[in-house]
Amino acid sequence: MDYLDGVTILLVVLGLVGIGIYTLMISRSLIKIIIGMQLMVKGVLLAFVLAGRISGNMGLGQSLALTIIVVDTIVAVVALAMAVRVRRRFGTLDPRALTTLRR
Amino acid sequence: MINGWLLLLPIGIPWLGCLAVWLVGDRRPRLQHTLAVIFSILAGVAGLALIPWSTQRLTLLLSLGGIFDAFRLATDGLSVFLTVVATVIGSLAVIFSVDYMHGEHSLGRYYAFVLFFIGSMSGLVLTTSLLWMFVFWELTALCSYALIAFHNDDPKAVRGGIKALIMTQLGGLGLLFGALWLYTYTGSYDIPQFLGSPNSVPPTVLSWMAFGFLIAAAAKSAQFPFQTWLPDAMEAPTPVSALIHAATMVNAGVYLLARFYPAFEAVPGWRFAVMVVGMLSAFLAALMALVSFDLKRVLAYSTVSQLGFMVYAVGAGGVFASQFHLMSHSVFKALLFLAAGAVIHALGTRDMRQMGGLGPSMPFTHVVFTLGALALAGIPVLNGFWSKELILEVGLGHGNPTWIVSLMILSTGLTAAYTVRMVAMVFYGRGHQDHHEAHDAGTAMKTALIPLAAGTLTTWLLLGPFYASLKLSLPHHKLELNAVWEEAVGKAGVSEWEMTFKVGLEILREPSTYLVLLVVVLGVAAWLGRARLASLIATFRGVEKAAQASFGFEAINEVVVQAVQRAGEALRATQTGYLAWNIFAILLGWLVVLILTMLGRAG
Amino acid sequence: MLYALIGVGALGCAIAAVITKRLLLSAIWLAFTSALVALEMYLLGGPFIAVIELSVGAGLVTVLFVFAINLTGEENTYHSPSVLKGLALGCLLACLALTGYWVLPPTLVSPSNPDTQPLATILWEGRRLDIWLQAFLIFAGALTVLGLLRSAPQETSHKEENPDGLP
Repeated sequence: MDYLDGVTILLVVLGLVGIGIYTLMISRSLIKIIIGMQLMVKGVLLAFVLAGRISGNMGLGQSLALTIIVVDTIVAVVALAMAVRVRRRFGTLDPRALTTLRR
Repeated sequence: MINGWLLLLPIGIPWLGCLAVWLVGDRRPRLQHTLAVIFSILAGVAGLALIPWSTQRLTLLLSLGGIFDAFRLATDGLSVFLTVVATVIGSLAVIFSVDYMHGEHSLGRYYAFVLFFIGSMSGLVLTTSLLWMFVFWELTALCSYALIAFHNDDPKAVRGGIKALIMTQLGGLGLLFGALWLYTYTGSYDIPQFLGSPNSVPPTVLSWMAFGFLIAAAAKSAQFPFQTWLPDAMEAPTPVSALIHAATMVNAGVYLLARFYPAFEAVPGWRFAVMVVGMLSAFLAALMALVSFDLKRVLAYSTVSQLGFMVYAVGAGGVFASQFHLMSHSVFKALLFLAAGAVIHALGTRDMRQMGGLGPSMPFTHVVFTLGALALAGIPVLNGFWSKELILEVGLGHGNPTWIVSLMILSTGLTAAYTVRMVAMVFYGRGHQDHHEAHDAGTAMKTALIPLAAGTLTTWLLLGPFYASLKLSLPHHKLELNAVWEEAVGKAGVSEWEMTFKVGLEILREPSTYLVLLVVVLGVAAWLGRARLASLIATFRGVEKAAQASFGFEAINEVVVQAVQRAGEALRATQTGYLAWNIFAILLGWLVVLILTMLGRAG
Repeated sequence: MLYALIGVGALGCAIAAVITKRLLLSAIWLAFTSALVALEMYLLGGPFIAVIELSVGAGLVTVLFVFAINLTGEENTYHSPSVLKGLALGCLLACLALTGYWVLPPTLVSPSNPDTQPLATILWEGRRLDIWLQAFLIFAGALTVLGLLRSAPQETSHKEENPDGLP
């Protein structure tokens, strides 16, 4: 891996995170929002592995990435369950339906 | 090493029980009662099994990797003693609950949190790592909140729970900052190491830590100026009040001060601040107890007042006296609360004006309640008398300010007065017509009350062994017993039990003991003769009004709450509730941070 | 060069996942992104994490998405008004450009000595508390899902109006 490859991968990381955030902002479906979160996390994972490679401590990078995968999967599962629940309760996946806390 | 695992039992057994009770589900209440009782008794046995290690150090170290501190547990006199209090009184409270909570819904939640609390409290006192102490500290706060708000369909209970949670969290910050400072300067969270060399931390930081810990302790123990949460916490089921808000959790603050006393002793102004906090709590809360009509609130104010005595004792240099009073107090106050619970359970009201004349219909409760009340008032031979005397002896010596100790002695008089008032209003006088069929305590209630009543009569006998174990196992604490007595009891060949006897005799020989007793008798007489003192009392009408309004602290509290609420209402406009705009705001924040760092780098 | 190709592929899949209107397709594009990221990680020298990512990220999570989409039903996803879209894009690009400017030039030094400690040691010895917390988290997550998916009585009326959740 040379310098240019490193730059490329960092750009991919930024791109994935950016696409994820963009999805969070524009979508009107809870499931789409969860997909956006997943995309962000993919970018972060790649960043951790890259950091491990650059610092020469691949083990630490991989172990942290593993933690992120575990946590992220749980977040996705719980979020999906919540989406299902919202759909049953409100009949829609639109997050704007959830603003009932606001008087 | 195999013994080290014993230390996990008082934490692990209740937590296992918590899981078990919760998994059983609310459809089988009988099984839930049984499981909770079994697990809590096992925890009590595990706590008692630690007693042989109270004089030697038994340690357990579980490595958790480099980033976090290792999970460390160790025994010494102080921690074993508090573990025993937590687990044994915990199991008695659970046994009491079998009758008290009979037929209530969501028993699973109730027992799970009680058991979780017992485990957390054991962890709090057994751990020797400040970080883990903070973790357990907050776990007990969580349990306290959840159990105060147990009747979560009652807005008052929920309010009380949230109030307790916010106040203790606020104090917990002091502990957290203390822990982080310690870590910053010494690179470890180890408490014994810190106690051994407090000067490894710079003096300014040490004093910040000392006062941070004082705030944490005051918030946890409901001391001045945080005393308002404890009375509101009385919405909790009564066994919970007995366990958490009288016998164990509120003592955590006193424990913290006592544990770190050797490190902070030399911090200028700290001891004085501790004494003033204790004195104000003891005095003001005693006044409030004198005018309150809610039975549980009277007991709550009295708890604040007695905790004030302990805090004062720590400040005055009497670590042993404070811990000895802690022991007495947790026994007799748990007894009082549980007996009060039996009364409340029988009548369905907490208003003392609705009670009266209950003596004949509830003979058993009457006897044990009176026993606890006498101990609270400081009548000789009961445990409260000896420990209170010890505290006042400490206050009189050591060059402590006289005006503070005089106010403390006055507080003992007030204590006697409100105790007599409470007993008289509940058990004597004209009874209400509709209360004649009030039933006495049930079997489970009696099972829990009898050991506590026996303890009220006898725990003071443990003075010698308790002192010996603390003395042996706390190398950094300079434990006090009056220097003269120390000589008398320190001779070779004097056994621990003889020591109790000798110290007792010495207390009886001290002239100040009789002064205090006189004040106590005056307090009793003041209540009994209140009709004759009517004119005098009338002049104190203003004080009574102020006491009923918690001396304005409730008002300050309200103002803070109102201000926060209004600010919240004003800021509501910025919360659209739409995800897109929230993310947009985050992005904007990110942008600002990036630009600022860039400017910082350029400049 | 290979890194760049795979990276561009991953970005393309990600964009496809965002712009497609159907949720199911979106989930499948996500799986492709995940697979490509896993490949990139493998090439970077992390075979272990690549396998995990491939099986969990591309496999398990996709299956879960498909299940969830089956339960909720396809719903036409409308996007936000274009004002917000433009605003979002502008702000995001500014942030990314600045971040890129920050991280790109100085931090990319050439790799020094490779692996110091084996993964297993780091994971099981160095970060023991993390492992415990992860186990606890998995447990808590499973319980949460159980609680969320248990049908509460007051919701039956909604279900009757819309039996399978299909529009």
